[in-house]
Order: sequence, then C-alpha cells, then structure tokens
Amino acid sequence: MSLCARGVLLSALLLPLLLSCGGPRNHDLLLTGAKPDRLFLIDAGRRAVAAEFHIPDANNFVSVIVPSPDGRIAYVLVNRMESIAGIELASGRQVFRADLSTAGERVKCMFAFDVTPDGRELVVYEMPTRLEPDEYVVEPPRFAVYSTAAGLNAQPLRQFPAPRRVHMLLARPDGKSFYALGFELFEYALADGRLMGQRGIRSWDVPGHSIPDLLAIWPVTEGTGVFVSPVYATVNAPGGPKEGVPTTALMRLDLRSGQLEYRDFEPTAALIFSTAMSPTRPEAFGVYSTLSKIDTAHDKLAGRVNLDHTFYAVNTSADGEEVYLAGAMCDVAFYDAATLTRRANLRLPGCPDQALATLRVIHR
Amino acid sequence: MSGMKPVNEKAHLLQQAAESGHLAEVTAMESIAGCATTFDPGWEVDPFGGVASLCQPMEADLYGCSDPCWWPAQVPDTLNTYPAWDSGKSSAQGDWRELDAVFPEK
Repeated sequence: MSLCARGVLLSALLLPLLLSCGGPRNHDLLLTGAKPDRLFLIDAGRRAVAAEFHIPDANNFVSVIVPSPDGRIAYVLVNRMESIAGIELASGRQVFRADLSTAGERVKCMFAFDVTPDGRELVVYEMPTRLEPDEYVVEPPRFAVYSTAAGLNAQPLRQFPAPRRVHMLLARPDGKSFYALGFELFEYALADGRLMGQRGIRSWDVPGHSIPDLLAIWPVTEGTGVFVSPVYATVNAPGGPKEGVPTTALMRLDLRSGQLEYRDFEPTAALIFSTAMSPTRPEAFGVYSTLSKIDTAHDKLAGRVNLDHTFYAVNTSADGEEVYLAGAMCDVAFYDAATLTRRANLRLPGCPDQALATLRVIHR
Repeated sequence: MSGMKPVNEKAHLLQQAAESGHLAEVTAMESIAGCATTFDPGWEVDPFGGVASLCQPMEADLYGCSDPCWWPAQVPDTLNTYPAWDSGKSSAQGDWRELDAVFPEK
C-alpha cells in the first residue's frame, strides 16, 4: 500500500484556503466518490472540481463518505466493503486506514460507520465470516471502535456485540452514544457498547400501516443534525380499498433530541431513494429519477420534477438555496431549492460512475 | 403474496411457509459467502408493476446494484467472487459492452 493517495490538485493553492476559511456566499465544498478509486472535492460556488484524489487499494469500490467534524479528513468505505481509508483533503494523503479483514476472517462493513463528534474515533459495523478450508462460518456481527489517530494499520480499540441487519450508524452530538439503523432503531453507548434503547422501524406499530420498507444507506445529517429517509408502507383506512394504499412517509430522526417521527406525505407516486432536510426551511428534498420537495410542516408533497437520469444522493447548501444531486452516474447537478429548476451540471473528469458514493457537504 | 405466483421450487417453499404461518422463519441471511443480501426483484419490474420507475437509464443503476450484490442472479458477485469484473470499466454507460459474463474457474 502506498503511503499517500495520489492527488491531482487542480487548485493547489486555493484548496487550503477553501478548507480553512469562510468567504463569499456559497463556499460549500462537496465530497463524492467514483470508480475505481476516486474521491472528488467540488467547489459548489464555482461549479468546479477543486481536487481529485486516488484512494490506495480501493479495489474498484468507493461508497460511503464520512467527513471528520472539522472537515479536514474524509473517511471512505473502499475495497469491497473491507477497508476504511482516511484521506486528508488539503494534501490528498491517506492518513488513516483500517483494513477490516484478517487472515482467515473476511469482514465486510455494509455501509455502516461514523465518526464521533470529537473526531477521535470511528465506530464501524462489522460482519465477519471465518474462512475455513472446507466451510465458511458466519460469525456474529460486532461494532468495532478505532482511533482516528491510529495511522495506516488501525486496529480496533474495543469491540461490542451488535445486532444483525444494520446498514447505518449515526453518532449522536453528545459523543456518548450512536444510533444503529437496521430492522429497528438501536442506540448503543460508545464507551462500552451497552444497548441504551430500541425503537421500532420494522415494528413501528403505526395504526393502519403495514410493515414499512426502508432503504437508508446515505448518512446525510450535516447542516441540520436531522436524518430523514423515505419509508414505504401500505395504509388501510376505513372505506379505502381492501388492499390498502401504498403510501410514502418521511422518517425523521433528530440526533440531538432523539425525537423519532414517521409522517405520511403522499400516496406513493414516485420512488425516492434518499432525502435530506433543508437547513433553513421546513422542507426535505428526495431524489431518484425525480427530484421531490416535501413540505415537512404540512406533511405534503410541495413539488416534483423529472430528472434527466437517476441520481441516488441528495444534499443541500448551507444557505438552503440549492439542492445538490449526485450518485449513480458521473455528474453532479445543482438545483434551485425554491423552484426545482436546474442551475448547473458538473460532469466529473473522465465520467466515472459514482454508484453508491455518498454526497457530503462541508459547510464553510 | 396474493399478487405473486411462485415459479420455482424455492418460491413454492416460501409460499407454503407463508400459508402455514411460518413466514417469520424464512429470512435472508446477511452477507456471507456470496451475495443474495436481499429478496428484491431485479431490473424486470418496478414496485408499481411496470418499468417506468426503474432507474433511468438502466446503466445508471448497474454498479449501484452490483457493488453491494443487490441482485446476484443478473450480474457477477463483485463483493467476493469476481471483484475484478468491472476493473477498467468505470462507466457502465460507456463500458457496458466490455462487461462480460463470468464462468467458474475449473
């Protein structure tokens, strides 16, 4: 493994300034990844790639991106879900690496990891399989905690038992616990892995609603501290069709207060893969083959436009004026949050697929 | 399950389990030796029974699905068995002609 990520600094002098200073309006920096090993830092205001990095040993796989709280390091799930690389954004150097698998044990992290609010630790959901000569043995899943100062051969500081079927971790702002989203919403103590709470997702027990369907692998909470996700269920109401009405709700989890809500906002008329809250208005934006705006004050669809192709990932600008779209193919789109009209489109150099890469925003 | 018709032995077993009240015993295993992390249908049909709500174009969705082994019957298992299947083919839309079938090594 090479010590440094190979970086192509398109704005070598400008980049440290972008990473450390405030400045004119909309100095959002966007982070996205793409095949086979690429991490892009995009200056949203200029609609331009500010820097491009090649992550060592990414093995054609770049997916979940978690920026450190100070916005200086991007932790990226690479190597077919078996490694997390920490890339220093000012230099492009790889400064952290946790290779989860060891000889005889293959370990996958299916999207679920986060950094603590102080930036000192990573919590990772690990699914180990022991590779015996004549059989594979499925081992219990676990949480593993790594020091972010551990360098390029990070080993877990501590490990705790974990439930199966977890696909997202979200650290709470007080630094004492984290949420694990799976079939249910779990909360665990960061220090000792103690289960602190469990609330319903699959067992959400909303009157008249079927078991919900949830696809949540884009851990976007920046700007609001609130995680939102579309949730699909069939709703049976008195006088309604006996087979029920497919309905889309918005799951809303406030990381600070712990408040969890599910609110229906439309009979399902379009698929939405991921959503993000506006930092300035009671609105959420959802994306797939359409861009949807949800009025979260009145729980109704406020707007929807067709997109020229499918996007998986959505985020919002710090001032709430723009919606950023990414994932799937090789472009990042900039939409007006008020009108849902497209303002700009940035094609990534070489046109590599972003696939499941997270779109993160570093607010400056 | 009233809207679905089993077409193979495994699906018949699943239907029997549902009819006899044992559906809860039939659950997906987590990521283990291969793929099969979900029971979702593939690119044939969307949740509304049509195709209009599938990803547009289909190539936009290819690596998003193959990377986490979403639909193993339709693309090789890149998570474990064929990690180099898409090597050198970073754009599904541009490189789809080079994404070949794979065969078990003898």
